[in-house]
Amino acid sequence: MEKGGGASPSSILHSPSSRRRGWLLEKTIFWSFRLATYLVLACATYIFLDIGIKGSSVLFTKSPPFVNLEFLSQAPETLYVFDYEGKKMTLGDREFREWKTSHEINDAEVTSVAYSAGGIWPCIVGTALLVIGSMALALFIGVSSAIYLSEYSRNGPAVRLVRTAILNLAGVPSIVFGLFGFGLFVIFFGWNVSLLAGWFTLGLMVLPAIITASEESLRAVPQGLREGSLALGATRWQTIRKNVLPYAMPGILTSSILGIARVAGETAPIMFTAAYATRDTMPWQVSRFSDFFFQGVMALPYHIYVVSSKIPQNDYTARVQYGAAFVFLLLVMLIALGSILLRTRLRARLQW
Amino acid sequence: MSVLTETAGLQAPRAKSAHRKGRALENVIRLFFGGNAFVAVVVLVLITLFLIREGFGFFGGNLQNLRSYRAAGLEYVDIMRTQAEAHAALSRALSEVRVREARKLAEQGRSLEEMNSALAGFDQFATSFSDAGNNLAGLVSDLGDQAIALKERAATGEPADVAALRSNYPAYEQISAATTVEINALLANPPQLSTPEAQRAFDKVKARMRTSLAEFPAEAQRLREWDPGRPVRWYESITSFLLGKEWITASFWQDWYGVIPLLAGSVMVSVVALTLAVPFGVASAVYISEIATRPEQNLIKPYIEFIAAIPSVVLGFFGIAVLGQAIRALSELPILSWVPFFPLSERLNVFTAGALLALMAVPTIFTLSEDALRNVPRAFKEASYALGANRLQTIARVIVPSSLSGIVSAILLGLGRVIGETMVVLLCAGNRIAIPDFTEGLGAFFQPVHTMTGIIAQEMGEVVQGSIHYRALFMVGLVLFFLTLLINLAAQKISARYRMSIG
Amino acid sequence: MVTTMPEAPSHQPDAPASSSPAPEKDPESIAIENLDFAYGDHRVLHGIDLDIAPRSVTALIGPSGCGKTTLLRCINRMNDLIDGARITRGAIRLGGMDINTPEVDVVDLRRRVGMVFQKSNPFPKSIYDNIAYGLRVAGVTKRGAINEAVEKSLRAAALWDETKDRLEKSALSLSGGQQQRLCIARALAVQPHVILMDEPCSALDPIATARIEELIQQLKRDYTIVIVTHNMQQAGRCSDQTAFFYLGRLIEYATTAKIFSNPSQRQTEDYITGRFG
Repeated sequence: MEKGGGASPSSILHSPSSRRRGWLLEKTIFWSFRLATYLVLACATYIFLDIGIKGSSVLFTKSPPFVNLEFLSQAPETLYVFDYEGKKMTLGDREFREWKTSHEINDAEVTSVAYSAGGIWPCIVGTALLVIGSMALALFIGVSSAIYLSEYSRNGPAVRLVRTAILNLAGVPSIVFGLFGFGLFVIFFGWNVSLLAGWFTLGLMVLPAIITASEESLRAVPQGLREGSLALGATRWQTIRKNVLPYAMPGILTSSILGIARVAGETAPIMFTAAYATRDTMPWQVSRFSDFFFQGVMALPYHIYVVSSKIPQNDYTARVQYGAAFVFLLLVMLIALGSILLRTRLRARLQW
Repeated sequence: MSVLTETAGLQAPRAKSAHRKGRALENVIRLFFGGNAFVAVVVLVLITLFLIREGFGFFGGNLQNLRSYRAAGLEYVDIMRTQAEAHAALSRALSEVRVREARKLAEQGRSLEEMNSALAGFDQFATSFSDAGNNLAGLVSDLGDQAIALKERAATGEPADVAALRSNYPAYEQISAATTVEINALLANPPQLSTPEAQRAFDKVKARMRTSLAEFPAEAQRLREWDPGRPVRWYESITSFLLGKEWITASFWQDWYGVIPLLAGSVMVSVVALTLAVPFGVASAVYISEIATRPEQNLIKPYIEFIAAIPSVVLGFFGIAVLGQAIRALSELPILSWVPFFPLSERLNVFTAGALLALMAVPTIFTLSEDALRNVPRAFKEASYALGANRLQTIARVIVPSSLSGIVSAILLGLGRVIGETMVVLLCAGNRIAIPDFTEGLGAFFQPVHTMTGIIAQEMGEVVQGSIHYRALFMVGLVLFFLTLLINLAAQKISARYRMSIG
Repeated sequence: MVTTMPEAPSHQPDAPASSSPAPEKDPESIAIENLDFAYGDHRVLHGIDLDIAPRSVTALIGPSGCGKTTLLRCINRMNDLIDGARITRGAIRLGGMDINTPEVDVVDLRRRVGMVFQKSNPFPKSIYDNIAYGLRVAGVTKRGAINEAVEKSLRAAALWDETKDRLEKSALSLSGGQQQRLCIARALAVQPHVILMDEPCSALDPIATARIEELIQQLKRDYTIVIVTHNMQQAGRCSDQTAFFYLGRLIEYATTAKIFSNPSQRQTEDYITGRFG
């Protein structure tokens, strides 16, 4: 309807019906695009709400201190469910053993549900340890690589190779990193399932993202600042340290926070490099200092995987399932939100 | 007056050593950073080498595996087994026909006794048919035991002699002939079913029986021609992996490492995910970059990026706890009963996983497409408006075409993300290692599958290190690695071209 | 002003140059000898011979792409930053010393040869920190010395009166002309011998331009100034010598008065009178 041409273009161009049809089509299509956009938002919101609402009932309580400290501070336990004198009893592992000392119960009448009592404290600790170690590693290597690529390197074939390698590394699935970490660190180096193996696997996984984002932030610093500094007799390193890094820092920070969210959120790479389904002791309860690095830990994402796939879905398990998922979602979302807010604020402030 | 020490001349001797030290420091710093950059290459090379090192050992092992399969006569028994299994499958089909008839009769208000009497003729037929296969099944079972014993003996180094196994051929021929006679007799005088629907199904089964009977001579021929000495070529180890339709591990009989069922699962899940994510992702990118008001942009853009941060394991949990159940409940709604494959028998299937993965792919596709759309030079848009085009025309004819390669590369990267995703498919795809039954049409997308990522995650923790199975998983990882590498490179190529076309 | 170092700065007109240890020549003199320069395979300078007189203003003029900015950036080796850019023949001598030999520290060279860029590039720091930057990276830590150098440089750049009350304000709060003068002050603070200016006024309005030109006239008493400009009037107004480049070659080099009144080359005349360029 928008093609002129023909014998009498003016009449076609100005025919009111064609314009009216165009307007209607435009409106329809715009509204369907809007609908599509809002549908995506609605789906995501539904997930947030479902996990949020069911999870809050686990995490928050009606009485002070309003937070279910027990859930956050205890280790997972097996839940025992049974009828006693007409009453339905649900007891955690420790309570149940205590209770048994004073009561008689036929074991056959007791149903046990794994992981469903207690809390998720060791998982939170394990995830924190994994994140700290792997991010330290990734930031150290990542930021220095980015500095090299953006500030020192000339655009030769070697550097192009590095760039291509990084770009492609970023697309490698996390499970392949897990496979690689398992083969190299766990088996070949003999580190077993350990924090160290997890750090390296996760660190290498997030490395490309950190390098790319850091290099981008470094490149965003105007060339004039570097030239100005060099022309004043500053060395390269002085220029970088005083006149490039400070201005690239916000960008690097943002990307590294996103990296944290990614590292914390991944399950596949740690499944067979660092995560245990259960552990009785906390990570710091080791006899020798070096054992600390060679111990596996419980991790929140792996725990969620275990409780959502290895135990049935019922009223007794919903507590730990939704509770863990909600706490985890909350943590990761807060980290991501922090990064997004930081970026918005910094973008507004640093305009060249 | 000078506050600097070295203003005196380029060669001021006092400054010289300081400079040298400074320059040495510069070089150290440079080397340090350069070394770290090199780590990225080292890692990529290491990953490739390591996957290849662990994975390629698979072929040797698998070749051994295939050779012993033939040498110990397992292959011979499996030829007979196909026939026996075809018979068993027909038996199952008959009982399905019975169920169908019985359901119709029940709808007509017949009592159990009435039904049984009405179906007596059919039951007679089905039982006789089933019994006709018993002899062959027995033979297969006996020979199977012999073959396994041979295989075990061969593993200890003794030569496997399959002559004893083959001496059973006359017995087979006898059984086969007897079975043919029995079935022909049955087919000559089939029972009639009361409902046309069941009768149609029954007719189909009867047709299948006839084709199955016609196969008998060919099977016999294959048994006669079977040669335990026929060499297993080296490439069969590779083709049996890349083209193998079965992934059977830890089996007492024979392990098969065929990647096709896993690949099919991964591809089907990705197809569902992209079918959903591409329209939504691109539509919302167009909406946000070209149509939305500013407040909408400021809210929706971060929100969609926020979705990308949802941990995949949480999505997987949501799939198990809510979505799978919801999809099944939906499929049980009476108003949807016209859909041929509804109601669903499995709540965890390709669609459940694909739908969740779509939600993960939307942010990737959205963000990158939006970037591409935003990078269309203002001048293009202004020129279009100046020629009297409206917004829709400008979008459809100027903005989208000139950012098309950016959008395509965004979709490719979304695909890369989907195909490499593990937790969602591990939790929600149903984990049944089988190529879906495509005869069901779209219903194939509602069957459980297993995926390449899922199989690694599920089986890696339990395999014996260094075994064929362990190496097979590395091979799957290698396939995944090169597949995603290819997708990524394609995306880069396309987006590089797009930059050129804009600049 | 307090003398913190025993050496008298050699470039002060009242201090004789003999105070530097072994000056073969005036340390502020620049001699460009038969210089070829290429970006990768693309040669942009061909056999440039140019002696730049100390403590005067030399203008490099010529149409865009003639290589004058490249030449300017050769003098303090800013071209080192560009991939594939290199001198293929000839030499640049500063005070008789080839600046491209390995013995010459490029950092030291740049301290001696300051540069002001086409687009003013103050660091996003305070005015004070901008001026102090060069001193600090050179290892000066004494607060008193820095304070003094800041004031002196800002006075020399005729910026002191405008900024003395807001030295801690961000340099980005200054106007375009002020920012460019700040960049000049920043270059002065490290007490170079030579100041290179790459079209310093191209982004400024006439009033700001006039102030910078005025400043150049004052500075030439103490510094050797090389200025690249597209503005013929500017070259005529504030330079002592003018070099005209065309397609990577030095066509004519003479006193400004001669170039503008009586050029010996036809191309020069055409360019100056606006017939091409």
